[in-house]
Amino acid sequence: MDKWLEQERPVAAPVRLQDNRVMYQPLTASSQIVSDGFVHAENSIKEFFFPRTEKLYNYKFVGQDVELQDVTVEDAPRMVLFARPCDAASLPILDHVFNWDYKDEFYNRRRRATTVVTLACTEHDTHCFCTSVGLTPDSEQGSDVLLLPLGDGNFEVRMLTEKGKELFRDLVQTSDKTAQIPEGPAKKFDVDEVLQFLEENFDSPFWEEQTLRCLGCAACAYNCPTCHCFDIVDEGNACGGCRVKNWDACQFSMFSLHASGHNPRSIQAQRQRQRIQHKFRIYHEKFGTYLCTGCGNCGRNCPVSLGVLNVVEAIHRRTVKASEKD
Amino acid sequence: MLKQLRQICKELLEEGKVNAVIGYGQDAPGKPAYPIFVTQPADVTQLVWNSHCYNNLAVYLTQKRIRALYPKVAIIVKGCDARAVTVLEKDSQISREDVVVIGMACEGVGEPREPKCNACDVHMPHNVDITVGEVPNPPVTQEQRFAELNAFLKKTPEERMAYWKTELARCVKCYACRQTCPLCYCERCIVDKNRPTCIDTSATLKGNFAWQITRAFHQAARCVGCDECTRVCPAGINLRLLNQSLALAAENCFEFRAGMDAELEPVVGAYSLQDKENFIR
Amino acid sequence: MSEQKAFEPKIVAFVCNWCTYLGADLAGTNRLEYPANVRIVRLPCTGRIDFNLIIKAFEMGADSVLVSGCHPGDCHYTAGNYHARRRWMMFRELLDTMGIDLNRIHFTWISAAEGKKFAETISEITAKARQLGPYRAYREICEESTC
Repeated sequence: MDKWLEQERPVAAPVRLQDNRVMYQPLTASSQIVSDGFVHAENSIKEFFFPRTEKLYNYKFVGQDVELQDVTVEDAPRMVLFARPCDAASLPILDHVFNWDYKDEFYNRRRRATTVVTLACTEHDTHCFCTSVGLTPDSEQGSDVLLLPLGDGNFEVRMLTEKGKELFRDLVQTSDKTAQIPEGPAKKFDVDEVLQFLEENFDSPFWEEQTLRCLGCAACAYNCPTCHCFDIVDEGNACGGCRVKNWDACQFSMFSLHASGHNPRSIQAQRQRQRIQHKFRIYHEKFGTYLCTGCGNCGRNCPVSLGVLNVVEAIHRRTVKASEKD
Repeated sequence: MLKQLRQICKELLEEGKVNAVIGYGQDAPGKPAYPIFVTQPADVTQLVWNSHCYNNLAVYLTQKRIRALYPKVAIIVKGCDARAVTVLEKDSQISREDVVVIGMACEGVGEPREPKCNACDVHMPHNVDITVGEVPNPPVTQEQRFAELNAFLKKTPEERMAYWKTELARCVKCYACRQTCPLCYCERCIVDKNRPTCIDTSATLKGNFAWQITRAFHQAARCVGCDECTRVCPAGINLRLLNQSLALAAENCFEFRAGMDAELEPVVGAYSLQDKENFIR
Repeated sequence: MSEQKAFEPKIVAFVCNWCTYLGADLAGTNRLEYPANVRIVRLPCTGRIDFNLIIKAFEMGADSVLVSGCHPGDCHYTAGNYHARRRWMMFRELLDTMGIDLNRIHFTWISAAEGKKFAETISEITAKARQLGPYRAYREICEESTC
């Protein structure tokens, strides 16, 4: 790691902060890295591909004209170390939307330049639900290298891509040890049932009953590995400025506010409904994957213990009750 | 205490005195409690009261949708939350006849105990309509209340600036601090203002500094120290220090503590000819 | 030896229209000299001064900020300066906790008759700012965003 840092190649890894919280942060020294003693970092790795604030270009007023200045996007090799499988799996999911009607070069360049080294999970907590959305504690999606802890401080290393092989080829030894990865959390709901509920219950009072306590912050969306909404703003003054792409969240009251003053999602329940619909129905219809990897960060960070799992489990209870009635 | 609380709420609902009780529910013991809205007398069994009841429920008193659904509410509060209700009352944001305030005697929340509880002198809430339970409420000196801030102020200005530069670099502008604060009730926040933009919405150091300074100052002499902002911050930023800074200023300059005394008028928005101006030439 | 231009601090002065601004005007008509480092921003009253303006001044490169208005009791709008004073009392504490250099923020009462006081105040502030040097801390905060 220190070699990489010396060469000024950015590395992001889980780091323990002074209040014992673990977050993915850019590393300044390899001693900062934390690889065990936590289930999941408070944030996700998406900010290393889709930063929370990103300059698109600068502009300067020159007389009556405007001069645009491109911003160089870094594409020096970089690494994300000790991501969780649920974080890494978000990358192929996000690839769809960032290459849909427009190829986002900012995102793509970072994707190409980054090697993702994933650490399989040996424990989970009550917020985790990767197994309910088709993943496992040792899923390989999105990873260049998957490290499976052997329990003695060493790892079984699966080099999954060329990038991964290049990085780890010289660091591994052959051995016949294989890691025993636990099964992960029990499945908490059936996605197909949830999908059906979403299709049939757009106008149901269920949404407000379930989400009335939502405060409308973005703690869930900003720490979610797959949420990707953004806002484009200009920041500057009379001399010039820059155009910036910032994270945005559908939970903010002004997210869908029209210039006319009309807001189609003026109540929090409508905004929460939109979040679940987008993640499990709309994205799936468009791209064939769910916009959720079951990492549980939404529930961990929510001030009122809401999060996606809570709502979807409530849907599950309803569908189970309904089918019992039948 | 819980039995008594549930009985009180049941009666309030049965007698039609309130449309809903805003209280705490919990999925399982040991998990964080969360806000619930109980409308049926039979559902009062969902209400809990324990050391996991973190949220400041006063935040729902100014939410338009909640008040449209439930014009008359009963609200369950700890001492710190009750202070927020008092500030809302003095700021003319709620009318007390529509709110039944049920104050819970509270020995502190969190395991381990939240820092704010170690210097609390409102274990018995002030200015409530009904009090449930009784716990010792020893006085706390100003020194004890501001111990953390005073320790921080021992750093040099350069060290303080370095500290905030590191901490605020992690702010993602999720506004969890704003949304969870009962005193952040502006319908349109200054950070949402554009044409012209006052505060950068970007999560850059500049934007984060401007935002946190603004929010802290807008809570000057209004923040009641419930510390929810610090608890909910996903980036673990110690917002308590900023709020304590202004609380200490309010105490030293105006002998005022927000929400402690329902008779005192708010300090900001008023002035006195005797305000000290030893820093003005 | 390198020929380096001596550092000239940028001072931003937020002044009220009825007292300090007229005081500055009086300094001018009396031909009193004061450093040209100051950029004066005229507001109707100190009561209008949002603390965000002070932060913005630093964001935009000010090395020192002056806030000045009518003496207590003389406010053109009766009580604007009292409200301002109350705010300043608390805002200073917040800035101190943030580590923002309080030596760079000055508050004065300067009346329309005090042209001399205005000139002297600006001279003092500029000399002090020159001594303190450029306000690097705030420049660094804005580096990422400088457009």
